[in-house]
Amino acid sequence: MATTAATSAGIASEAPRSDFGRVLAQRERRFAAALLAPAFLALLATTTFPLLFLVYTSAFRLDLAMPFTNGFVGFENYQVLLSDERFWTSLLVSLVYTGSTVALQVIIGLALALLVMDMKRGQGWFRVIAILPVVLSPAVVGMIWRTFMLAPEFGIVDFLAINAGLGSKNWLGDPTLAMVSVIAIHTWQWTPFAFMVLLASLASLPEDIYEAARLDRASAWQRFRRITLPLLRPAIVMVIIMRTMVALTAFAAIFTVTGGGPGTATEILNLYAYRKSFTELSIGYGAALAVALLIVTIIISGILFALRRAK
Amino acid sequence: MSGQGQVSFRNIVKMHGEFAALKGVNFDIKPGEFFALLGPSGSGKSTTLRILAGLDAPTAGRVLIDDKDVTSTDARDRDIAMVFQSYALYPHMTVAENIAFPLEMARLPKAQIASAVQEAARKVKIDHLLDRKPGQLSGGQQQRCALARAIVRKARLFLLDEPLSNLDAKLRLETRAELKKLQRSLGVTAVYVTHDQEEAMTLADRMAVFMSGEIQQIGTPAEVFARPNSIDIAGFIGNPPMNLVPARYVDGDVIIAGHRLKTTTTTAGKRDVVVGLRPGALRMTEGGLGARVDLIEDLGDTAVLDLDCAGTMIRMRVSDGNIPSEGETISITARPRDIHLFDPTTRMRL
Ligand SMILES: Nc1ncnc2c1ncn2[C@@H]1O[C@H](COP(=O)(O)OP(=O)(O)OP(=O)(O)O)[C@@H](O)[C@H]1O
Ligand SMILES: [Mg+2]
Repeated sequence: MATTAATSAGIASEAPRSDFGRVLAQRERRFAAALLAPAFLALLATTTFPLLFLVYTSAFRLDLAMPFTNGFVGFENYQVLLSDERFWTSLLVSLVYTGSTVALQVIIGLALALLVMDMKRGQGWFRVIAILPVVLSPAVVGMIWRTFMLAPEFGIVDFLAINAGLGSKNWLGDPTLAMVSVIAIHTWQWTPFAFMVLLASLASLPEDIYEAARLDRASAWQRFRRITLPLLRPAIVMVIIMRTMVALTAFAAIFTVTGGGPGTATEILNLYAYRKSFTELSIGYGAALAVALLIVTIIISGILFALRRAK
Repeated sequence: MSGQGQVSFRNIVKMHGEFAALKGVNFDIKPGEFFALLGPSGSGKSTTLRILAGLDAPTAGRVLIDDKDVTSTDARDRDIAMVFQSYALYPHMTVAENIAFPLEMARLPKAQIASAVQEAARKVKIDHLLDRKPGQLSGGQQQRCALARAIVRKARLFLLDEPLSNLDAKLRLETRAELKKLQRSLGVTAVYVTHDQEEAMTLADRMAVFMSGEIQQIGTPAEVFARPNSIDIAGFIGNPPMNLVPARYVDGDVIIAGHRLKTTTTTAGKRDVVVGLRPGALRMTEGGLGARVDLIEDLGDTAVLDLDCAGTMIRMRVSDGNIPSEGETISITARPRDIHLFDPTTRMRL
């Protein structure tokens, strides 16, 4: 209050007008706040509160199978977690899964976008067909792959493998193949997203600079390296950020295809937290795992955003 | 590396579906020449330049550079530098990187690139802007950057597509003069596209005048100005352009609005003609063609009069000092050699 008085005294000559302006601005701000309040409260109730509750829960032993041991334990869950080998394995699986799916999406999406940009006709159809996997629910995609694509003998992939002379493979039973399969499924579903974003961004690049580059004697590869790639960089980084966050927290597709198996071969951190909480009913420890995932996600996206800002 | 820079177009046709953008274009450009492609909007100048650069392929015809058929040679291999109308600067690179790009593609050593960039930038006076991105430059500065990128590599041919059209009038005049000096000092062949006849007149050693996909006249600016080949060119060249008045030709004289004017043509006979009269070639004398002054456009040192000669509008340029007033009736005439005659049906010069 004192400072306001000081400033208004300082610009005394303009006082009436700025007073009026301030009252108006204040009124406007109050009105805006009133409009925003319901949405803000809903957001608070549905995101912030559950999050805080999760953190709170992670400080308890909350074992539905052994209710008599329940109680406040402080950081004990986290201490257990740090020496839990299964946690580290699942974290590694998460990172491999995220790294490879995001890399594949960007590389394949970019390649497709470059290809489609050069298509004289049929671009529209290609876009419509390409977008189809994205609109499917990941759980449905998981079902499709488990039954139509990867089923022994009858699945399309297995059928192709047999015909290619590789023989029938146990796509979801072998630990390595299962990991490859879930990575392939996620890539299959989400590459179109990267493709669409990169295609739109490619289409917005000016044509004349490519003509200038041709006259400057840049080869096709040099035009891609020196012009296309730097100009697409913001879009590529954006795709990486968005896809990384989704991949880190992926769940439904893996859950329906392998359920994390065989063993823990495809058990990403998210799935481990789920299994701990709702299969083994250790809700406190599950909550700690979920918080760990949250921290990992925040750290990685922080790094990515920093990279985005960097030149 | 750089060759001579001699260019020939042989019957170049360019079709866009049914539409003929170029209908058989022929010309030869001598090494070291400043050659302008002049014509109204949509007449096919850019199309010609793009075919010469190798950015578009002609539907028919042949392009020769230094007596070698390059019709199907890729733009990369033609050794041509071009300044685009839109400048086409690489937006993510600094001015220095933009200018260096063609040299990097030629795999020159780094030190050599750096000094060449400095020199090119100094020539077009942007050496203080080397660290800026194109987005941080004014239109004129961008244009200079594009120019520097084109001259840094000593190409045998230098193409410019309306490079001055985005500049303000003052900057355009300055840059025009600099461009001419630059081309002279580099001794490179330049092909310059413009729809501004004044630009072509001042810059070009020779020019080709385009009209709807065809070249109607090739010559020095003075030749084209002095003896326009057709009614269309007569109506396009000069500011204001030639007056074109339907008249009757009778035994060496033309009759305009009942008044007889002597011409240099001496054949006998009668026919309908179109008479071309340059606004600057008209004189005020007693006993000439009567005309009422409708409007005066004062340009400072000269003035342009809109005259009403018995229903036909004639424009006349007069210098300071003897400007009549609006509404006044004056009498005008022209010397016989300043009277151009055109055929009204073929639209060609007689
Ligand atoms: N891709 C195309 N498809 C159809 N018509 C085209 C195409 N490109 C150019 N044209 C037509 O060809 C004609 C010549 O075009 P061009 O660009 O050479 O004109 P210009 O003389 O450079 O005109 P301006 O002074 O306006 O730049 C124009 O009528 C134009 O509409
Ligand atoms: Mg043009």
